[in-house]
Amino acid sequence: MDQIYNNSYLFMAIFLLLGIFLPFATIWVIGPFLRPHNPTKEKISTYESGVEPTGDAMVQFNVRYYLFALLFVIFDVETVFLYPWAVAYDNLSSFALIEMVIFVFMLAVGLAYAWKKKVLTWD
Amino acid sequence: MTLTGQYVAFFLFALMAITGGVFMINLNKVIHMVLSIGLSFFGVAGLFVILHAEYLAFVQVLIYAGAITIMMAMGTMMTHHATAEVLPRRKWHTFLAIISAITIGGFFLYGIYKITWPSEMAELNDNNVMAIGEKIFTNYVIPFELASILLLVALVGAIVLAKKEGDE
Repeated sequence: MDQIYNNSYLFMAIFLLLGIFLPFATIWVIGPFLRPHNPTKEKISTYESGVEPTGDAMVQFNVRYYLFALLFVIFDVETVFLYPWAVAYDNLSSFALIEMVIFVFMLAVGLAYAWKKKVLTWD
Repeated sequence: MTLTGQYVAFFLFALMAITGGVFMINLNKVIHMVLSIGLSFFGVAGLFVILHAEYLAFVQVLIYAGAITIMMAMGTMMTHHATAEVLPRRKWHTFLAIISAITIGGFFLYGIYKITWPSEMAELNDNNVMAIGEKIFTNYVIPFELASILLLVALVGAIVLAKKEGDE
């Protein structure tokens, strides 16, 4: 029994399963008992009291969204390096701080370039 | 072989990875393919956790399941892929695909059975993220800083390419 309690991944699995189960339970299991069921034509429209949506959802998006996605990927990779740095920070010399400052500065140059090229503005 | 939790978890994650891959190849709409390859990435991340490679699992979820999947979804939204694309299957291609799959699988199995595994388990650090951090920031400083330059080049290059094509 001790072994089971020591396995932290068991708790993680339970947490994950509960996290997946709870929204489904509230919407489809417990919800129908608690909420009134009285749909009218206006209520079941996509935006109640809003503008009627027309056309398909699968339209072509602006290329600017893609640039934001690219920026996101680059800074996501930065996070990958920040994580072990933050975990090991106590055991490292102060030189590690300088290393990370250089690293972040390099990416800040990239961000400044993106800003200068008006990637971040929306006209 | 006893049915341990690790065994069950391995089967679940392996099934996730394989199901995602099979769906990715067989579904017809691009956005469904993107979602199924996301499932596959999560399965691989689970396999990394079983192998005590928590840092790799973290990277797998953050980069592949997060960033790459989002980028592919964005790419799908930008191109026009509303209609499902169904290619005619040719018998000749199916035959060749089966032959090559069996060959490659055979090679892998042969290689795996040839390996003599070390009988003792390697000493695993309990906190391997900390070990990786100490190694990177003391022994591998230059590659780490080069990685930042590589990222900078990728960022600038992506902006140049996307801006040029966006303006046209």
